[in-house]
Amino acid sequence: MLSRLFRPIKEGFFGVGRHAAMSLSSASAVTITLFIIGVFLVFTANVQSFTVNIEQSMEISVLIDYDHEQQEQIDAIGLTISEMDGVKAVNFSDKDQEFQYYIDSFEDEAEQAIFEPFREDNPMHHAYYVEVNDGDDLETIANQISKIEGVYEVNYGGESSVTLVNVINSVRNGGAILAAALSLLAVFLIQNTIKVTILARADEIAIMRNVGARNGFIRSPFLVEGVIIGILGAIIPILCMVFGYIYLYDALGGIVISNMFTLIPPHPFVLYLALILLGVGSVVGLIGSLLSVNKYLRWKR
Amino acid sequence: MIELTNVSKTYKNGVNALYNVNLTINQGEFVYIIGPTGSGKSTLIKLLDGEEIPSSGTVNVVGINVGKLRHSKVPLYRRNIGVVFQDYRLLPKKTVFENISYALEVINMRKDAIRHRVRRVMNLVSLDDKGNSFPSELSGGQQQRVAIARAIANRPKVLIADEPTGNLDPAKSDEIMALLEKINREEGTTILMVTHDLTLVNKHRKRTISLENGHIVADMEDGGYMQHAK
Ligand SMILES: Nc1ncnc2c1ncn2[C@@H]1O[C@H](COP(=O)(O)OP(=O)(O)OP(=O)(O)O)[C@@H](O)[C@H]1O
Ligand SMILES: [Mg+2]
Repeated sequence: MLSRLFRPIKEGFFGVGRHAAMSLSSASAVTITLFIIGVFLVFTANVQSFTVNIEQSMEISVLIDYDHEQQEQIDAIGLTISEMDGVKAVNFSDKDQEFQYYIDSFEDEAEQAIFEPFREDNPMHHAYYVEVNDGDDLETIANQISKIEGVYEVNYGGESSVTLVNVINSVRNGGAILAAALSLLAVFLIQNTIKVTILARADEIAIMRNVGARNGFIRSPFLVEGVIIGILGAIIPILCMVFGYIYLYDALGGIVISNMFTLIPPHPFVLYLALILLGVGSVVGLIGSLLSVNKYLRWKR
Repeated sequence: MIELTNVSKTYKNGVNALYNVNLTINQGEFVYIIGPTGSGKSTLIKLLDGEEIPSSGTVNVVGINVGKLRHSKVPLYRRNIGVVFQDYRLLPKKTVFENISYALEVINMRKDAIRHRVRRVMNLVSLDDKGNSFPSELSGGQQQRVAIARAIANRPKVLIADEPTGNLDPAKSDEIMALLEKINREEGTTILMVTHDLTLVNKHRKRTISLENGHIVADMEDGGYMQHAK
């Protein structure tokens, strides 16, 4: 019973050993792929938490016209905004509060005093602060709001935060495409390696079939071989990503540029990272050898 | 047990190896297939083994339509039959013992039962002392006997042998014949044996089927030497 489990594993290792050079070159393709996937994962996971932070600071401020300052008019505008798709929350701030904020924004008391006389004849507008669900929608929603009657002006975190979100998204998409393409390449290379091992043992395989060995019995060592190559290829990227991330986190003190960009703490993040890379490596190896085995074990009946 | 109906075989390169062959072999029979080189003897065996698919007609062995078997089912079918190939087909990196035991491992026989059975068949083919030798260390005749031992190890219902005495001197050939006759008699195994050796055919008389250019030209119940007109 045990020997039935160990036989394919033992023969799988022999197979890797017999074609050491081929196995290593396919393993290095896996290594490169996993490096890219690893960097991509670290980037995406962290960016995910960045964008949450950024989005919190991404409010749309809506200033209300002087001629729409009656309570019903204000409420109507607030209702219209809150009924829009993608709007998370709408907070009202009246012109007195606005004036106070404005004054408070000056640190120097002398400067604050300059504006004090205007408190009676308040030049500020009533305002709504609108939070959105998704940073991508910021621009569209702001445009929609500006079309509402009685809205004097609309401002949002500015072009820069939208651009940042867009850049992050396109890097993320580009990374995903690159990782997928490289995975395919690695699958292809492993498929080729397994093909060589299979062809080198073609006679042996024919003989196994002659004496009644089932396909699964013949196939399993080759599948193990593919998985071993995948795992071999995963070792270096796993070590580099795990220790690299821990080092990076310590070196940067857990933040990038400002407090808005905090890094994910290494524990248990690096453990998940290692498991994902190991998983991707073995799956890539398994798929590569499956493709090969299904194709080349059929050369003879 | 074995039934070929209107079987023709044309290889991919266009060679017609068999034409409209009809043949019935019953359980327990011992049958020779003779014929000149290139007459289609090995092709017939490959059809029985499921290695080749008939271009037309049906090949039926132990109730299984061999030509219609799915690729994955072919090895399972082969557990019913033992085949001794003209080119032996031993695994070069396995010892004699391992070569024979392998055929039993793949059908999941228990370890101790395997050891017992392998010793038994090695004794039958008089190779008791060669268990640890590799095929490359054996003579042609010895390899042939390993192939026979492997083919009969799992007690197949049908034994198909392509020139099992091809590399043996007359004395050893007689020994192998005695062995095959014993298996045929004692285990009731149906035996189909391809041979060139007309002396042997004449000496141990059995039903003899003669192939020529892919046609069955004679099927002699009592056997005997047939002189071909050149
Ligand atoms: N795999 C193949 N592909 C194409 N042609 C083949 C193949 N195998 C055999 N043939 C051809 O089919 C014909 C019959 O061959 P086969 O091997 O059945 O003859 P045989 O009777 O076994 O001969 P021998 O006594 O020399 O072993 C021959 O003309 C041979 O060249
Ligand atoms: Mg032949």
